[in-house]
This record gives sequence, C-alpha cells and structure tokens, in this order.
Amino acid sequence: MIIMLLVLPLLSALLMLLWPRVAPLLALFSASSSSLLALQLLVQVTEHGSRSWLLAGWPSGLAIAWQADTLSCLLILLTTVLQLLVGFYAFATRNRDKLSQGFWPLSSLLQVSLTALWLSRDLFNLYVCLELLGLVAVALVSLSGRSAMKPALNYLLLSLFGSLCYLLGVVLLYGRYGLLDIAGLASQWQADWLSNSALLLMSLGLMLKAALWPLHAWLPAAHAAAPAPVSALLSALVVKGPLFILSLLWLQLASVQQAQAIAPLFAAAGLAALLFGGWSALRTPFAKNLVAYSTVAQLGYVTLALGLMLKFDQPLIFAALWLFVLAHALAKAACFLAVGEMSATLGGKRLTTLKGASQTMPLAMFAFAVAGGSLIGLPPSGGFVAKWALLQGLWLQGELLFWPLALVLATLLSAAYVFRVVVVAFDRADPVSPDFSPQLIPQWLALLPALAVWAMALFSETLMQLLRLEAL
Amino acid sequence: MSAFWLTYLPVAIILSSLLPGLIIFTLKEQQVKLRISLNLLGVTVKLVLVLIMWQAVKAGDIFYFSLPFLPGADLVLQGDALSLLFVVLSSVLWLATTVYAIGYLENSPLRSRFFGYFSLCVSATVGLALSGNLVSFLLFYELLTLATFPLVVHRGTPQSLAAGRRYLAYTLSGGVLLLTGIALLHSVVQSPQFIPGGYVSAAVSEHAGLLTLAFALMIGGLGVKAALLPLHGWLPQAMVAPAPVSALLHAVAVVKAGAFGIIRLVYDVFGVDGMQQLQLAQPLMLLAAATILFGSWRALAQQDIKRRLAYSTISQVSYITVGVAMLGPLAAVGGLVHLVHQGVMKITLFFCAGNYAETLGVHKIRELNGAGRRMPLTSAAFTLAALGMIGIPPTAGFISKWYLGLGAVATDNSLMLMVFVLSGLLNAGYFLPIVYRLWFLPQRGSWPKEQRLSATLETHWMLLLPMLFTAVLIILMGLFASTGVSPLSWAQLIVEREFSYD
Repeated sequence: MIIMLLVLPLLSALLMLLWPRVAPLLALFSASSSSLLALQLLVQVTEHGSRSWLLAGWPSGLAIAWQADTLSCLLILLTTVLQLLVGFYAFATRNRDKLSQGFWPLSSLLQVSLTALWLSRDLFNLYVCLELLGLVAVALVSLSGRSAMKPALNYLLLSLFGSLCYLLGVVLLYGRYGLLDIAGLASQWQADWLSNSALLLMSLGLMLKAALWPLHAWLPAAHAAAPAPVSALLSALVVKGPLFILSLLWLQLASVQQAQAIAPLFAAAGLAALLFGGWSALRTPFAKNLVAYSTVAQLGYVTLALGLMLKFDQPLIFAALWLFVLAHALAKAACFLAVGEMSATLGGKRLTTLKGASQTMPLAMFAFAVAGGSLIGLPPSGGFVAKWALLQGLWLQGELLFWPLALVLATLLSAAYVFRVVVVAFDRADPVSPDFSPQLIPQWLALLPALAVWAMALFSETLMQLLRLEAL
Repeated sequence: MSAFWLTYLPVAIILSSLLPGLIIFTLKEQQVKLRISLNLLGVTVKLVLVLIMWQAVKAGDIFYFSLPFLPGADLVLQGDALSLLFVVLSSVLWLATTVYAIGYLENSPLRSRFFGYFSLCVSATVGLALSGNLVSFLLFYELLTLATFPLVVHRGTPQSLAAGRRYLAYTLSGGVLLLTGIALLHSVVQSPQFIPGGYVSAAVSEHAGLLTLAFALMIGGLGVKAALLPLHGWLPQAMVAPAPVSALLHAVAVVKAGAFGIIRLVYDVFGVDGMQQLQLAQPLMLLAAATILFGSWRALAQQDIKRRLAYSTISQVSYITVGVAMLGPLAAVGGLVHLVHQGVMKITLFFCAGNYAETLGVHKIRELNGAGRRMPLTSAAFTLAALGMIGIPPTAGFISKWYLGLGAVATDNSLMLMVFVLSGLLNAGYFLPIVYRLWFLPQRGSWPKEQRLSATLETHWMLLLPMLFTAVLIILMGLFASTGVSPLSWAQLIVEREFSYD
C-alpha cells in the first residue's frame, strides 16, 4: 500500500507527459486516491504503532529504508489533501489563468518527492528527495513566464547551494561512520568537531532551503511571482520539507550538548523571523508579498519551537512545533488561493486593489480572514491550539516571562498584518470593480482549507496526544 | 425536563441566531421580506427557548453541554442563573434592536451583510453568557470582536475605518492579554467549569504570585471591552457606527461582555475567598471607581450627543465592576441588577439619539433646543432614561444604585459611597441640561436635516416602537422590582444560589 502512495503520482506524472489532454483528470485522480491511501495509513499507524519497510528485499544498511510514524502519516495526508485541493483550484480556473500544461506533472512529482521525504530516515535518501523537491519547486515557480524568471533563477541557485551544503555534511558523516541511516548513526554518534561541522553545514543548507531567518530573502520574491496554486503549494508544503529534516537532525542525531548549544540560536532566529517577517508584511505594498512575508514570520514560530524543544526537551513543545506546521500549511494555502483569486478577478497586485473586496468578493475575503484568524492564533483555530501548547509547555518548564512575552508581541504583529488586509477590504468608499464577474467555485476552494484549520481544533486533543507520543 | 434538552438547549439557543445569520449572508440585497422574516423568526425562537430555560433554571435544573477541545479544557456550555441573566438581557434587547435596525437602515446598502454580522454578534454574546469555563469564554470573546468589527466599519467612510482600526487594536490586544492570562491560569489549576466560590483557593498558598499575575492579565483583557480606565479609548471613537450598532455595543454586546467576564472571574473563578486571600478586590474596586468619576467628568465636556453617551457608558459600566469588587451580597445584587438596568436605559438613550439624528439631522447637543415639541415621544423616553441614569425613583436606575449604596454601607465602605454620590451629581450635571434644552428652550432656526418619515407619527414607527418598549421597561423594572419576574429578584436568586453568603 505504501508503495502505491509513491507509484501512483509518479505513474500519473509519466502518463500526463504522454497524454497532456487528460493531465488534470489524472492528477485529480491520483491525488484523491493517494489521499484515501494516506488516511488509511494514518489510521493503521495510530492503531498499530509505527511501521518500517526495507525496499526490494535488500538487507538493512543497503536498502532504502522507510519509516511511517504518526507524524509522517499526518504530513503525508496533509500533502495529498492539499495537492487535491490545489488541483481542483487549478482545474476550476484553467480557462482564465492559462496555467501551463507543465503544472500537472510537476505537481505530481512534487507530491512524490514530499511523500518520500516524509518517509525517509536516511541521510542520503533525504538528500535525493530534497534535491528533487527543490528542482520541481523551481520549475513550478518559472511557470509564471518571463516575469518569474529572475526570482526562479535566484531560487534555483540558492537551492542548489543549499543542497550542496547539505550533501557536504552527509559526505563528512559517511566518511567518518560509514553509515547513512539516522538511527544507526545516532547509536555511534560522537560529539566532536567533525560531527559539529557536519551538522552545521547541513543546517545551513536546510535553513536556506526552508527560508528560515536570516536566510529567507529569496522566499517573498519567489512565492509572490509564482501562480496562485503554486504559491499555495510552496508556502504550505515545500518549505516544510527541509524543516522536517532539520528537526530530524537535531532531535534524533545531535547529542545533548550539541542540541543545547544550538538551541538559543534557533530560538533567536525564530524570534527575529517573527518580528522582521511581520514588520515587512506590514510594510509591503503588494498583496501576495504580504502573504509571503507572513510565511517567513510564521516559519519563525516553527524555528522558535524547535529551539525551545532542543533546550527543554518538553513533549508539549514538540507537539506545538508540528501543530504550527499543520495549521500554517492549511491557513497559508487558503490565504494564497484567496489572494490569488482576488488579484486575478480585481486585476492588480497591489494591496489597494483589494479595496472593497468584502463587498465584491465576500467569499474569498472571508476565506482570507478566517485563515488569518488561525495565523493570528484566535480560538478555536489550529494556530490557537499550537500557541496554547507552546505556552503550556513553556510554563511547565518554568519559563515565565521572556518567551511568552515574545509570543504576545508576535501575535500582535500578525494581527496587525492580517487586519491590514481586512480593513482595506472593508473600505467601500470607492471599491475596485472586478474585471469580470467573480467565480464562485475557486472562492469556495479557497475557503475549504481555512475552514479545515478551524476544524482542526475539534481534534486538537487527539492531535496533541499523538504528537506528544512522537517526541518520546 | 428531559436529558436531551438539558444537554442541547444551550446549543439551540446559540444556533437560533447563528443559523439565520448565516443564511442572511447568502441573501440578495432585494430579498427584504425574506430577510426580515428570518430575523424575526430567529428572535422569536430564541425568546421562546430562553423562556423555557428560564423556567427550568428557576426550578433548579442545570444545563450542561460539552465538546472535547484542549487537554484539561473542554468547550463547555452551561445554563446557570448568572448566565441566564445575561442571556435574557441580550435576547430581549436583540428583539428591540433588530426592529430598530430594520427601520433605521431602510433603503441603505449592504443590509444582508449588516444583519448577518448582527446575528453573529448576538450569537457570540449569548455564547459568551452560556460558556461554562474560561477557554470557552475566550473563544466567544474573540468571536465577538470579529463579529462586531464589520459593524463598526459598516459605513466604510475614512472615520469609521479609523475607528475600526482603533477598535481592533484595542480589542485584539485585550484578547491577547486575556489569552495569556487564561493560559497562565490553566497551567496552574487547569480550566475546570465555573463554580460558585471559585476553584483557585487550593493553589493560593503555593502560587500566589502567578495567580495575581494571571488575574491582572485577565482583568487587562476584559477591561478593554468593559472600558476600564486606561483602556477605554476605543469606545468614544466607535461612535461613528450606525445608531443600532452603538446601541448594541454599549448596552448589550461588547462592554457588557467585559463586565460579565469580570463577574465570572471574581465570583466563579477566584471566588470571594480567593479574592480576599490574594487581596485583589481593593485595586479592582479603586480602578473601577476612578473610571466612574473619569467617565462622568469627561462626559460633561462633550458636545456631541453620542459622545456624551459614550463617556456615560464608560462610567456606568464600572458601577457593575464596583458592585462586584465590593465582595458583599448587597453590593453584588446591585452590580448584577445594574448589568440589566444599565443595558435597558442605555439602549433607550441610543435609540433616542438615533431618532434625533435620523429625523432631524441633529448630532450636537446645542441643536436639541425645543426638540421636545417636534418629537415628544422620543424626548419623553430620553428624559425617562436620563432620570434613570441619574438614579431617580421610581426608575430602574434607582433600584440598582440603592442596592449599590446599601452594599457600600454594609461593607463599611464610605469611600465608595462618596464616589456614588459624586458621580450621581455629575450624572445629573450632564443629563439635566439636555432635558432642559429639550423641553424648555425654544427651537433655534430650522432643523439641520429634517426628514418626514411618517405621515402621522413623529418618526418611523419602527424607530419609535423599540424605544417606547425599552422606556416602558425602565419604569416597569423600577415599579415592580419586588415581584418575582423582575431582574432584581433574579439577581437576588443568583446571589443566594451561587455565592452562598450568609
């Protein structure tokens, strides 16, 4: 079954190249069946515990090893569901947006690389997935045509550089230990200058690819230049890939001293991302850039949680980390689809184009506001649950003042940039009139993930329980 | 009552306004009749359900509904005597305000959106009243902020957008403070159900500092909506909203949400014992007393009718807080009953202000000269409500001030007694001149922007009827205060049942 999760999208990507006409149908079919499979896998794993596979009957150490624990299954489910949703959106707007044919096979490949990444527990496999992911992402950005060439090229170079750094680290470790799989490495791990430098090199590359502050500069341009469905995928999923590897490295591989040493750096970078990302989102005149800067800021929560997790080793903070990832993925997909829909219909990239949008395109605006509520962390949304878990975790550790205060500040900043858009939308003195009559289905599709992130709150107790167990 | 209703009646009460609201969002602008019927249907159903609940709670039933949410903090709805006080108030006043808003907004654009958010706002208020623990309370508290923002900026003019920004800045910051406070408290004692006498006393000796910090944070968060002293800045500016919205913000939804939260916090979370052990009551009371005097003082200087009413709200809502913070049974009765009485009186005043603005185009106090002849009913209602605010018998305002005064005497609090006297004088100082202008000064020239909204009546009947209804309520609540259906008797029941003094 697990194999089907990879073969299905890969096969459909190949078929799409052969029969471009039926590409959308194939993509939707493969995404929907993978979603069902992913759901089934999640149910299995939650019931019977995590499972691992050795591909093609090779012995351990040589074979490609996969491991499906609850976290991986959740992320796979998230990936496939968002693929399906974005696929529907691209299908619904195909006549208007003239998205190039390349989108369909590329998005299927994206799904393959991400699924494989969530399952891999081996440094080299992870590298392969990462490289594939980066290349596919760059190709997707360049679909926008000439205007996206510069950001796409920039993204490509930085992404290659990031992969190279990561690969260098892997090589160092392999030369020393002769091992690549993480569990094996962890058992022989020694904290010395070599493992230090390997970890740092890999982290540098991963941080660059995940656009963690201060290596985030490429992200706003690339995400804003891409077509709306692509930006949704990039912000919601692609940046989370390297983050996943980063957390594997530091939480499973690094020794306690190494983790303790790096913790303040991650926490500080997270805080800086929250503040600077939020501030830039407040300043930018373009709607999509605002959403992209918000991604930088929201990734700050994740980095911060990672730093705090390394410092305190508190399962609640680990749960908070991944709750942030899940909530942000859903909310950001909704934001990008909503803003993309509004820009396309109202005809403009500037924030001022959204003037009066609460009147002209109420559904899309509602979707943005609802998703924004989760980005701020209003109850009862996914973002709220994550923030709650982080606060409770911090207080359990007796961390009373500084970090909670920082969280409050970050919350206020995110409220400011979300409502910056909402207030413009309620300005109905002279609303921007749509270029053509707004379409309903794409707006509903933007609303769906926004509602889903609020529905996450209903399962928060289960989610928190499952994720906490993962940390042990 | 069957177990089914004991569980689902609170949910049904919230849905009775939420569902019509959601349907109204989808309606077209021209579907006026359908929209009005939906609105009235929602109001009627809600009133019937609330009536059923009222009878059941009086008989001693307890309503309880819960959904799993966070570890240690479910989403809980409960119907007890205190929540019912607020539910009844908001449902009855929603009826009045809905009728008024239909008349007020006749032929204006974007009514579907307006009434949709209007219903959401009432749903949030009722949910807040029914919520059974702090986390559920927080949820509805934030929802209320989100639902009222579109109403404040409804006109879409630069002033209303500026007011909306300010409103958001204040209320969202308050929401964050409240969230931090609740999360902090949760980390110490979890978030169990609201319970008479509170649930923190076990932790007082060990975590006194944390509890005090959490209390301060939560009062900061609630104080924004309740317009406590340094946090009141949004309220006068939010006056640019249409009159029904101001009426709703001031009398029912927003400021009362803050005040109600303070009542819950003091009695059902910290409890009288906890408050006394941590010595939190005194600072809260002083802060509220300062707000009373400050609001009254600033109201004196306002020349705009609605702004004067806004500062008066700041002052009057703090009476509730003072009543609660005095921690005596009589004062508690006064504070609780003032929650209802102030709501009814203030909504009447705002209806009147809206009528003057709509019919005559009058916004400033000096333009009101002689309005009593042109609009006798409105002016009579205004006079009545103003007398009530000052606290003159036999109006409702007298009852609440009487009990607050008794409470101050009973708790030996001469300072508060002086505050009440002084504020009463100030109230008279800013309300009586208006009354004098209405009836005794001659009209100056023609009205700024007069409209004939009715052939026989002084203005549209939909603007008159709700105002007269609430004005009559003011008298009735005062005259029949000692009967079993009055808010006073209900407040006494709450005090007897929940706070178990004596």
